Amino acid sequence: MALNGAEIDDLSWEPPTEAETKVLQARRERQDRISRLMGDYLLRGYRMLGETCADCGTILLQDKQRKIYCVACQELDSDVDKDNPALNAQAALSQAREHQLASATELPLSSRPTPQPPVPRPEHCEGAAAGLKAAQGPPPPAAPPNADVVSCTQEALLQKLTWASNELSCSTSLETSIQLCGLIRACADALGSLKQLQH
Amino acid sequence: MAVPASVKTALRVAQVLESIVSRCLGPDGRQVLCTKPTGEVLLSRDGGRLLAALRLEHPIARMIVACVSSHLKQTGDGAKTFIIFLCHLLRGLHAITGKEKDSLSIGTMQTLERHWKDSCQWKFISQALLTFQTQILDYTMDHCLSKHFLSIFSPSAKDKTLCGGSLELLLGAYFCGRVGRNNHKFISQLMCDYFFKCMTYESGVELFELVDDCFVELNVGVTGLPVSDSRIVDGLVLHRDFSVYCPAEGDIRMVIVKEIIQPLFSTSRSEFMLNSEAQFQTSQFWIIEKTKAIMTQLHSQNVKLLLSSVKQPDLVIYYARLSGISVVECLSSEEISLIWRIIGLTPCELPQTSSQCEISNTALVKFCKPLILRSKRYVHLGLISTCTFIPHSIVLCGPVLGLVEQHESALHGALKMLRQLYIDLDLNYVIQASDQNGRSNPLTYKNSQKSNQLPEISNDSILRSHQNIVKSKDVCENLVVSDVELEANIPCSIPEVAPRDTFQTNKAQRCLSPEKNKIMDDSELLANSTDKSTTENTRIEISYENLQVTEIPRKGNLLPLRSKSLDICYHSSSVPAGCVLPVGGSFEILLHYYLLNYAKKCQQSEETIVITLIANALLSIPQTLYKSKKGNNSFPQIYLSSVHALQTHQPMVNSQVGLESVTGKYQLLTSVLQCLAKILTIDLIISVRRPPQKNCDQDSEDEL
Repeated sequence: MALNGAEIDDLSWEPPTEAETKVLQARRERQDRISRLMGDYLLRGYRMLGETCADCGTILLQDKQRKIYCVACQELDSDVDKDNPALNAQAALSQAREHQLASATELPLSSRPTPQPPVPRPEHCEGAAAGLKAAQGPPPPAAPPNADVVSCTQEALLQKLTWASNELSCSTSLETSIQLCGLIRACADALGSLKQLQH
Repeated sequence: MAVPASVKTALRVAQVLESIVSRCLGPDGRQVLCTKPTGEVLLSRDGGRLLAALRLEHPIARMIVACVSSHLKQTGDGAKTFIIFLCHLLRGLHAITGKEKDSLSIGTMQTLERHWKDSCQWKFISQALLTFQTQILDYTMDHCLSKHFLSIFSPSAKDKTLCGGSLELLLGAYFCGRVGRNNHKFISQLMCDYFFKCMTYESGVELFELVDDCFVELNVGVTGLPVSDSRIVDGLVLHRDFSVYCPAEGDIRMVIVKEIIQPLFSTSRSEFMLNSEAQFQTSQFWIIEKTKAIMTQLHSQNVKLLLSSVKQPDLVIYYARLSGISVVECLSSEEISLIWRIIGLTPCELPQTSSQCEISNTALVKFCKPLILRSKRYVHLGLISTCTFIPHSIVLCGPVLGLVEQHESALHGALKMLRQLYIDLDLNYVIQASDQNGRSNPLTYKNSQKSNQLPEISNDSILRSHQNIVKSKDVCENLVVSDVELEANIPCSIPEVAPRDTFQTNKAQRCLSPEKNKIMDDSELLANSTDKSTTENTRIEISYENLQVTEIPRKGNLLPLRSKSLDICYHSSSVPAGCVLPVGGSFEILLHYYLLNYAKKCQQSEETIVITLIANALLSIPQTLYKSKKGNNSFPQIYLSSVHALQTHQPMVNSQVGLESVTGKYQLLTSVLQCLAKILTIDLIISVRRPPQKNCDQDSEDEL
């Protein structure tokens, strides 16, 4: 290699951990799914445009009615939304468990986690992966969940709920309204699960 | 960073294209249904056809498809393999940079220094890709892979005689990946029969060139009949009908004209002045008499067939009918040039001045009759060929026009593939080594030859006499070694050894089969520039006797040109025509194995990166081929057994029946690497809303 800096950095590079491998694998699978869907659409007569989607960076398609279509956004679930606790009950549960673990002293040895739908992105990786590991390992001690954590989450959910309803009342776009309704439903589900946790 | 962005975009595009073509790769591939925007449906397994049918406005997608099309125009094979291989190369490249850019370790902002380092790394990688072919690929092909090659020619004959069984295997493998499963055996048999009917003993690459260039005129498509009704007819089928048909017996002579026979009074740039009705009548009468005279003249010379590239006036038709001459009008210039290529007949000039002159340029034909195919009539002409091609035409039948067209393009592709197979593949590579000197170089060459154990192939239909070839190689080496030993004592003349060496091996080949072997251009130049002594000539004659009749399979020319500063050896060699390998990923697995071996000895890390990248991407092709197989035929099993066989120097066992051309594979590899190099040079993509233009350069859309 030409520059010496490369070697130093190479030495500091470590192979990805299991969680990171899972993330990479999930990302690859998602990409494969997107490619397959796009291929199917191309065979159906859609046109592949030269532009990419602003949200997810996938190549855009255009159908015969000249409507622009992004395969990833409109067909596949976004892999970011999966771990936004405001939008997803599963993510909210994981976050709750993470907080639990942070206060707990022992980490159970985990068996291989089962392959679930796409694992969250790297920024949430550490916590979420730890949370998943904990979920698949031996059952956590049956201690009542920390009341503070639950109330925190409830507050956050209620805040999001209010915000969503405000947005819904003043939104004019169909897509946004649908998404906001989804958000409200998810918040309500999350609140429900939190209430179950408390009891 | 700009460069990986283009790789990332290209990877996305290539993945989409791969998802389409990987479904139809190989004998187990399925048909792909594509709906065109006009509503037409295309059902095909042909990669090139599918890619051309997609609506792609993305500049990189268009560029990739353009690369594939130009590759197909040259070689006729490998569109799907191209895309799959390119996709895996891009994936590998992306992973290399992904290691550093996309690193999952939190923190570490990209500093300017790191950015610069990444750019430099890219430059080295793209340069290494470009030099891969000259430094590594050709060398590996020449030294390592060549011992595994099989030949499609029968070694028993002096000339390159095509072995029937091998041709069937080759074409069978070609068509089973391209034509639908119910038709491919029939089509490949049709093509084999066609070749054996058209070929003579002296036929070589000229036959394939002629058939390839004129394939459109040599085949007739008929819709509405089952595919099994396709057949080969003797002679030429013209795509026109008779304007006048007069059945003739005995000798039939034929004349081609390019202008109307009836003389004209008014020509361009002249004015025809008529002052009275009587003058007009006289002039008309003169025209009629002249025409009649010309037709009588033709009749007297036994001309019974008139082929015209223009539409003849009614008067000519009338007199032709009276004289018993059949007329075919409005022939295309391609058909006329095909007739010229087969029988050497040029269009004749009709005598304008005197009707007593002999009309030159007539040719004898065997028969001339109408041929009725379904509801259309064609002219069926029996020609007496003067070249190495015995004219036959293919009548291709199919239930719909689309299927007929697909079969036609598949046949045409097979022709191109065979045409490439008949050409020697030149390999030129550079070895940078400080331990090679004039003396040891040919010795190492000799040693490497002897250590190549040519495997015994049990398949009877593939013939190759290893012993003869080994013998001839030995003699050749003795020739080379003795020369160099002589010269080694005169160190100042070492640079002169090289051209003389070349000249001698050249001469030996010329003595063997003067009309068959192609002599390479650079060696010819060298030969012309140096003076040769008579002693060398006698040596050549002696060696000629020892060499027997078999060709030297490797026309290796060693040019150990030593320059003072760098020890670079330029080698040029060639893969002889007719080299084939068994299907099912043999070429890829072999090349993968030898490339990885080479990479272990490599010192430069970017070379190692590139070699490993290409070697791993090569495996994607057999992986896709064996995707649906399980158990003993699954890809991991095949791979392991092949590698084991290679490591223990045993012959590779192949479960697939069929052959594929080595030239085609090599050309595919180089095309993909060139396309990849093009992608890497893209800095900015600007997409322009413009319908794709087939003929013009589409790279104008990419800013370099």
